[in-house]
Amino acid sequence: MDPIHANVVKDVPGEKTKIGTSIVDTAAATIQSFGPTKQIHQHLCAFHFYADDMTRQVEAHHYCGHLNDEVRQCLIYDRPDADARLIGVEYLVTEELFLTLPDEEKPLWHSHEYEVKSGVLFLPGVPGPVERKDLEKVAKTYGKTIHFWQVDRGDELPLGLPQVMMALTRDGQLYPNLAKDVESKYGVSFQKERENRAYMEGLAHGIHPKANAAGVGLKTVLREIDCKPSSDPPPSVPRVFV
Amino acid sequence: MASSDKTPDSMPVGAGKVPPGKPMTVGDQVIDKSAQMLQTLKPIKQMSQHVCTFAVYGHDMSRQIEAHHYITRLNQDFLQSAVYDSNEPSANLIGVEYIVSDKIFDTLPPEEQKLWHSHDHEVTSGMWVCPGVPERIQRTEFENIAHTYGKFWCTWQVDRGDRLPLGAPALMMSPQIANMGVIKPELVHVRDNKFKISTEELKKSRANIPVSNPGNARVADYWMHTGKGFAIDIEHAEMKMKEPQVEIKMVEAPKFP
Repeated sequence: MDPIHANVVKDVPGEKTKIGTSIVDTAAATIQSFGPTKQIHQHLCAFHFYADDMTRQVEAHHYCGHLNDEVRQCLIYDRPDADARLIGVEYLVTEELFLTLPDEEKPLWHSHEYEVKSGVLFLPGVPGPVERKDLEKVAKTYGKTIHFWQVDRGDELPLGLPQVMMALTRDGQLYPNLAKDVESKYGVSFQKERENRAYMEGLAHGIHPKANAAGVGLKTVLREIDCKPSSDPPPSVPRVFV
Repeated sequence: MASSDKTPDSMPVGAGKVPPGKPMTVGDQVIDKSAQMLQTLKPIKQMSQHVCTFAVYGHDMSRQIEAHHYITRLNQDFLQSAVYDSNEPSANLIGVEYIVSDKIFDTLPPEEQKLWHSHDHEVTSGMWVCPGVPERIQRTEFENIAHTYGKFWCTWQVDRGDRLPLGAPALMMSPQIANMGVIKPELVHVRDNKFKISTEELKKSRANIPVSNPGNARVADYWMHTGKGFAIDIEHAEMKMKEPQVEIKMVEAPKFP
């Protein structure tokens, strides 16, 4: 039986914003420049699941900007609305850059090839031909996703530890009711898109065996430590790999 | 497997850029732009404030960073911010901070409270600034923020030389009046020069902002009470798998004679 997903959005606890506060916000928004966030150019919808629990699947709205042609950084919200909750972040890198990551790091990243080619990852509101031009590139990237707010378990506030998230890698993983819900909300058909994207190439070297947590589960654990400033000076130059 | 307080293995230096990678081609920029015109990006449009302040790594308080918050207010008691390492268009997204009023903070269990930090000192010391916005306009907002608590996860330790976001997320703490929470003067000077402000002067003008009483058994700023910080480890775990979809065929119940 499919689990119940937290479709009912509870309000974040707190009083409605007071007029005085709102005026200050508006003033700031008018005066200030928003350099980094003006780079956010794209809204992308996909699904994530918890790295230790594939039964908990989350609709994830990514708002992405390019740092360069090979690296993107995204803010993840639970829905595409003005009152959406910021639930996490994702970074995307090309296959080439992924391969330069230390081996210990690779399991924290997931491949995007399946999500793109199956049609479940899409750009809401963007016509197919334009969307596909960009998704051709996304299919060849890896992502690292951390969520901070477990809205799917009904948390009204961002409680607990950050969670490593993974992405779909094969048919049969995505809950049909979640898929249908998203398809009808955004007027898309994953099956149709799968057909349209059949021409796309995936990763040149195939999915790296260490990616997608190398097929095992991952969890985050809190460790208490003595809080002393480190006696070593912090590294001030990048370490050279020889 | 990965820990927020463990330096990751090296990556090839390449040209040394952070992050590595080729610049966008004109063609890609055109695709980007044409998609952008068709999408509304509503959550991003809600960001209403840019704040520049400082933060300290909870597991190594000698490491301090300038942090740029792009803040959205969800209601009178809750804010969420995307945190970058500068205010430039090329800034790296280094984490997320959530901010709640003391009223909401007091509803959190102690185990959760330990992960949060107070903001009163940050505001009254002049660390927390809204570049470009006159102080007097921000006054009521400062009075609000001085009564809030924050939870800040850092996902990219740029200051340690990471050219890409490596390792486990790190828990950050806030500037405080004493000891390991004091922000290095040279960091403050660099920030002040960039924004043509004087944190010293701001401190004077904010001296009379009321701050919340620490009472109520609040457990924020855990390091101040215990001398302990927190690191995050990422470990192997049993993956809870999805049950295979089984088609259930209804069969007629056997008839008994």
